[in-house]
Amino acid sequence: MNAPVEQVAALLRDAAASGRPCPPVRDRIADADIATAYAIQKRNVEIATASGGRIVGRKIGLTSPAVQKQLGVDQPDFGTLLAAMAIPDGAEIPAGMVLQPRVEAEIAFVLDRDVTETGLTVADIVRSIAFALPAIEVVGSRIADWDIGILDTIADNASAGAFVLGGSPRPLRDLDLRCCGMRLDHRGEPVSTGAGAACLGNPLNAVLWLAETMARQGEGLRAGDVVLSGALGPMVAATPGEVYEARISGLGSVRAVFGEARA
Amino acid sequence: MTGIDRAALLERARLDRQAVPQFDPGIDIDEAYRVQTRLVEHRLAGGDRVIGMKMGFTSRAKMAQMGVSDMIWGRLTRGMQVDDGDRLDASRFIHPRAEPEIAFLLHKPLAGRVTAIEALNAVAAVAPAIEIIDSRFRSFRFSLTDVVADNCSSAAYVIGPWASPSIDLSNLGMIFSVDGRPCHCASSAALLGHPVRSLVAAARLVESHGALGGELAAGSVVLAGAATAAVALAPGQDISLEVERLGMVSFSVGGGA
Repeated sequence: MNAPVEQVAALLRDAAASGRPCPPVRDRIADADIATAYAIQKRNVEIATASGGRIVGRKIGLTSPAVQKQLGVDQPDFGTLLAAMAIPDGAEIPAGMVLQPRVEAEIAFVLDRDVTETGLTVADIVRSIAFALPAIEVVGSRIADWDIGILDTIADNASAGAFVLGGSPRPLRDLDLRCCGMRLDHRGEPVSTGAGAACLGNPLNAVLWLAETMARQGEGLRAGDVVLSGALGPMVAATPGEVYEARISGLGSVRAVFGEARA
Repeated sequence: MTGIDRAALLERARLDRQAVPQFDPGIDIDEAYRVQTRLVEHRLAGGDRVIGMKMGFTSRAKMAQMGVSDMIWGRLTRGMQVDDGDRLDASRFIHPRAEPEIAFLLHKPLAGRVTAIEALNAVAAVAPAIEIIDSRFRSFRFSLTDVVADNCSSAAYVIGPWASPSIDLSNLGMIFSVDGRPCHCASSAALLGHPVRSLVAAARLVESHGALGGELAAGSVVLAGAATAAVALAPGQDISLEVERLGMVSFSVGGGA
């Protein structure tokens, strides 16, 4: 049963607004077309910006071979970050803000140049990055029980929910982006660990993919954009009232604090 | 079956490269360690010598999976060592797997209840390391006491360049690759939050079990445990581990038809 873009977009919007996840939308997307799924994502971003939301960057998803295999794809996907999704380090993430929240630790890059051309190299990406920050992405799914395929997650803004940026900007020259260790701790014990190479071999490879993909769509990336480059280790379900701390070697630390569930 | 029989059976399984079924239940953990002692004595009688220990079940997840609350340990012998960069003959083993680890080299003895600071103070150097495990039990199916008796599945190990122990070991990136392609990534934090905790446990266990003369002697090597899932080995593979700030260790797998 195919449905127009707006109809599927509305299902996802309603799920977010009501706090009640909806069934998977993949069977409603004509010809299982990835471009249509992105059009659904774009539709909801436009509605958010029309009511005052501001685009502050992009997130890259599906950057681990294991997750790609799980979803039967061979490339990453991307979602759009809005200012309302940004939570300061250690500030409380209100209960219910993100549906079915999970946390993952990653490296955020902040650009200081526009990247709009195609045919990019890693050198172009390095030149466009002002600094890196440690980040926790709080992913969430508007689809019930995270029963997602590639079309579901793309339409659902790549399962973006909220993100927390650490406050220690580091230039790339100080970092070993491929080999840097990542630990995500809950109550002092690691619940997820990884390394830079877990993100497409090197997080810069993910940024290159994003920049090239956005440029081909005629949008590009802009100076000031935040790019969440992709998880460095497995995602972990977040519990209300709990605190998760990510540390990435060379980049310092960042905390996601979840508010208590409302009675 | 007596403990002597069990040790002989496991040694025979190793030499014949023929896995054996799980033991019937009935021995406790202390008896399992006694079987391990006898098993390794077979090799010492042939001129081998113990150079240290390996730690197992060094993640909460693994302990929960096996229903235990403590780590387990096995003996490393000189004969199990493969030089960094060398070829490992897979035909010597039953169904070998490799795991990424961190190795400690001690410059003074360590035993009993020690603090993390005391443990680190006894460390001369740390290195990236790969352990080759090869359960003598069929399909790697074993109980806690089975695996302890079987020297914790240990079969061989490769140690990379030794680095200064002053490096902060709490969050070093680890990239475990097959044929140059990363297959598992982790942080050294996967080892109980900090690899030194494994060394602290080794000191405690070696004394409480009265093994290895009751202490980790100066010069001992301790493998701190696996940071990721194991990789099944096949002839022709190149296996490598890169650890942030510690460097690289590798070996190739030979012995194919």
